[in-house]
Amino acid sequence: MFRIMLQKMWHKKWMTLSLLIGCILLISTAISFPLYEKAAYDRMLQDEFNMIITKEGKWPALLEMTTYSQKDKTGMIGKVEDFAKSIYDELGISEKQTVFYYVLQRATLLSDMNREDAEDLSISVAGLTDIEEHIQIVNGEGFSETGLDEDGCIEVIVAEECFVPQGLLLGETLTLKGLEDGNGNPIRIKIKGVFRTRDNNDFFWLDGNLQLAGRAYMKMDLFREMFTTEYASKYTINCKFYSYLDYKDIRYDMVKALVDDTVYFCEESPYRGVLDEPEYLETMDSYLLKINRISATLLILQVPVLIMVCAFLLMISGQMYEMERNEISVIKSRGSYRSQIFKLYLYQSMVITAVAAVVGIPLGIGFSKVLGATRNFLEFDSNLTLDIVFTEKAVIYAAGAMLLSLLSLTVPAIKHSKVSIVNLKQQKALKKKGLWEKMFLDVILIAVSGYGYYNFHKNMSGLSTTVLQGDSLDPLLYISSSLFILGLGLFFLRIHPYLVLLIYNVGKRFWKSASYISFRENIRNGRKQQLIMLFLIMTISLGIYHATVARTILANAVENTQYLNGGEVVIKEFWPMSHDPSNQSEASFIEPDYTRYMTMEIADACTKVYYTDSGYLPLGKSNRQAITIIGIHTKEFGSMTQMPEGLNPKPYYEYLNELAVKPGGILVSANFNRLHGYEIGDSITYRNSAGQDATGEIVDFVDYWPGYAPTVRAINPDGTAFEQDNFLVVTHYDVLKQRWGTQPYEIWIDLKEECDGSDVLNWIEENNVRLVKYSNKDANLQNTMEDPLLQGTNGVLTMGFIVTILLCAIGYLIYWIMAIRERELMFGVLRACGFHKGELVHMLINEQIFCGVFSVLAGIGIGKLSSGMFVPILQQAYASENQVLPMKLITDVVDMYRLYGVISATMLLALMVLIGILFKMNVTKALKLGEE
Amino acid sequence: MSDQVLIRIEDVSRIFPVPGGEFAALKKINATINKGCFTILKGRSGSGKTTLMNIVGGLDAPSSGKVFIEDCEISSLSEKERENLRRKDFGFVFQSVSLIPSLNAYQNVEFSMRLAGKKIDAGTAKRVRDCLKMVGLGNRMTHMPAELSGGEQQRVAIARAIAHKPRVIFADEPTAELDSAMAASVTELFKTMAEKEGITVLMTTHDVGLMDAADSIIELESGERINA
Repeated sequence: MFRIMLQKMWHKKWMTLSLLIGCILLISTAISFPLYEKAAYDRMLQDEFNMIITKEGKWPALLEMTTYSQKDKTGMIGKVEDFAKSIYDELGISEKQTVFYYVLQRATLLSDMNREDAEDLSISVAGLTDIEEHIQIVNGEGFSETGLDEDGCIEVIVAEECFVPQGLLLGETLTLKGLEDGNGNPIRIKIKGVFRTRDNNDFFWLDGNLQLAGRAYMKMDLFREMFTTEYASKYTINCKFYSYLDYKDIRYDMVKALVDDTVYFCEESPYRGVLDEPEYLETMDSYLLKINRISATLLILQVPVLIMVCAFLLMISGQMYEMERNEISVIKSRGSYRSQIFKLYLYQSMVITAVAAVVGIPLGIGFSKVLGATRNFLEFDSNLTLDIVFTEKAVIYAAGAMLLSLLSLTVPAIKHSKVSIVNLKQQKALKKKGLWEKMFLDVILIAVSGYGYYNFHKNMSGLSTTVLQGDSLDPLLYISSSLFILGLGLFFLRIHPYLVLLIYNVGKRFWKSASYISFRENIRNGRKQQLIMLFLIMTISLGIYHATVARTILANAVENTQYLNGGEVVIKEFWPMSHDPSNQSEASFIEPDYTRYMTMEIADACTKVYYTDSGYLPLGKSNRQAITIIGIHTKEFGSMTQMPEGLNPKPYYEYLNELAVKPGGILVSANFNRLHGYEIGDSITYRNSAGQDATGEIVDFVDYWPGYAPTVRAINPDGTAFEQDNFLVVTHYDVLKQRWGTQPYEIWIDLKEECDGSDVLNWIEENNVRLVKYSNKDANLQNTMEDPLLQGTNGVLTMGFIVTILLCAIGYLIYWIMAIRERELMFGVLRACGFHKGELVHMLINEQIFCGVFSVLAGIGIGKLSSGMFVPILQQAYASENQVLPMKLITDVVDMYRLYGVISATMLLALMVLIGILFKMNVTKALKLGEE
Repeated sequence: MSDQVLIRIEDVSRIFPVPGGEFAALKKINATINKGCFTILKGRSGSGKTTLMNIVGGLDAPSSGKVFIEDCEISSLSEKERENLRRKDFGFVFQSVSLIPSLNAYQNVEFSMRLAGKKIDAGTAKRVRDCLKMVGLGNRMTHMPAELSGGEQQRVAIARAIAHKPRVIFADEPTAELDSAMAASVTELFKTMAEKEGITVLMTTHDVGLMDAADSIIELESGERINA
């Protein structure tokens, strides 16, 4: 049996190869999704951690425990110490370091040296784990072996921040007033050394300035020996326990358990009283929320791809059975058992699936890398790499995909193994309508998805609220579009025969024999082509739809980011305050040196921009309207900012010119007119947050302005979302300076072509600039591009596109080769009757037009229609948080050319192959076919 | 039937390459067929009758020798010319069901007239109906091939072969798949055609029971003519 099977497979090698390709694609696509997800989520998690480090300067995964042990009798300190050390095992995350920080009650110090200022000396003796590793002694020396000097004084070291202000002396011994050691002797300390922290950004120093300024550190072991063990009950000690979790160890699949365990420790464990709720909980919660949303989105995007692959397999295996029907029915009529036939196909499917798994799994890993490297639709960036790890989930997916491929290949055998030659002849005579056609599935699908569209369209703002609140989006939204496409595709198949009939009837008098026969063939046997036509329609319309989705989402996100960023690089320096002795009441800002920006080598241009979003417009006596105030140099500002066209009624530069010619003029946002009834020429008095006012005459209204968001959407404390208007006043920088004095301004910088963000950061470091705001358009764009939701969407859509187009090409070719082979006898008869080869080609072209070109045109129409309808709704799901600009539907012509290019190449190739087959066909042999 | 020679077969051989040598399917066959004559090519399976018929019908070319239709040597014609000959001057009936499955009986018959370049009008419609009536299928014109029995299909094929008024009809084992009664009636039909329409008919068969109907018989055995 095995040999028969292998022979059969070899005999039909093209068919076998197509099935194999289908199975390989099914398995590799299926596993690439979980692999990609895992890697992308891990990367995202590390990004979140790194963000905390760069933004807040904190260790991102830290557990902090505090006990304030007053006369500790229960040995609590020791217990918490043990707990702090064991928590890593409990949470399953490795230890970076564990730090105990104990501070003895503050005491007044009596110097042995009878100092005059002795009364002012107040210091806490403290112990800090491994302090020696984080400091350098700048004066004196470190602890001795015992931590005690020869007189039994406790050796302490103090930071420079303590040594200088307290006026301590090296080698000085001091007695802690009111404290005694275990034996009732007074506690005496000796200043052994002065230290400086090794690294200012060391996460070891967690307790702020006081940790350095008010503490004298003794040897930790000695501290524990003297104060926290048996004598603990005599003292009041403030104990802090820090467990630094190694966040690099944390993987996305561990997060859920980490959150649950942490919550348990904080809320239910015996240590709930000492353990502070760690900050990472919030980070992880929002991370999980994001992940859920991304997972749901990606899953919904993947499903159509997987369905297409399965449909392909079913189609090809259907073709195979169709082709082998004769053989099956002959074998069956000669007495083979159904089970034998079934087994033959089962073995064949198993061999194909096994080979497909061997090839498909490594290919799937490759696919997931491609997914991770997708920058834009059908665009890849080799810098975007992911560490792909094979996971349990991927194994499950692989197994599922293999099962699916096995089923797709064998299930049709059950049906076909029933058929004997008699049934076959009967079946061939029947011309049946598809079940879907009788059930009006197309109409139902269109109605259901149309209803979905109507609902979502009506409730678009509700949609963005949903997303803003963190809820995952209604899957029906995604499904609606797919169903709509499927419904229209089927509907086209329903009307297709009538369309052909119409064309036939219109030109009935003119059709030559070749056209005549191809029309008749299509009218009679067109139903056979429905599956491949549907495949073609779905590939093209989904291709167009997905290309539009991907382009639209990304282009809108990018455009928004660019718009909101304003300048290419925006810097705001820290402005120190000056205390002018002659003017006690008014502190003024000290302006940092601006000239260094003007001589910046990496910049093409720069300009000062006064920007505040905490200005206001007094309305009546008690009301005020919050406004954003922007002060600019019109010429400089105009030369380095752009606005997308069509956002405002007039070109951007006209507004700048209007403002430029009127020194007392202001540009205001259109909502001043809409909501407060202001007109051009009206004067407005507005104030900054300090209450200083300025007056300007309105020269024009703008809807949009670089960096200005007309509406803000935010979340209320109760979790509901709301939308609020933003008001804008644009005026001259110099006017504000005149009215309000020099205020901290932003510097908007236009970089030279060859320079990027790293040059700016270098420059900042070299010039020792202290920043309060820094934003870089390219870096923000990069973040937007790398956002897993966008990136994953682009990746899945791109891969889905490539896979379906590949399947479509193979499927189309196979279908037509089969269709020709099936009709070889007919072609032989035609040739015998004197049909020219040119007429055969003509006939084939006609058939390609009816089947291929019609489907392609339908696909294009359906794709465009559904894009126009559903993409704007879908886009809401991706960009609602910072969608400021009006949504634009983006279709990249290049995508369309690619799509049409591949499809036309496929059809041309199919035509070539078919012509080749027909021309090679021997008429007399073909006629013999019928005699069997 | 007249004494005028329509087809002349002169020293026709046909050699097929086979693994390890050559196989001579026809060995120097000579024959003439008169205009309007119903000729049967007789012989056992593998005797070379179909090969000879294919060569005479312009579907295959001889390895050596010549075939003339009146004064035209068909083996020297270009492919296009042979195709035109088949379209206009020849009609074919094959052993197997050779109707176009997507055309009904009427359309199948009409199609041969289209191929022959006849203008489709009331005249052709009448001719199609007449031909179908002639083969006894006047009341089944709109039936699809799949709805007809084997004998009925073969009769439609005959109607198709004569509709465009060819000079010769080639029928390759048209009765092989029919029962003897049906075979006799189909053979009778050919004979009537030849007589009524003046069409020359060349039919192959191995069925000895049909020989009586023939005006002349060419008998082959192992690629050689044995009744010269």
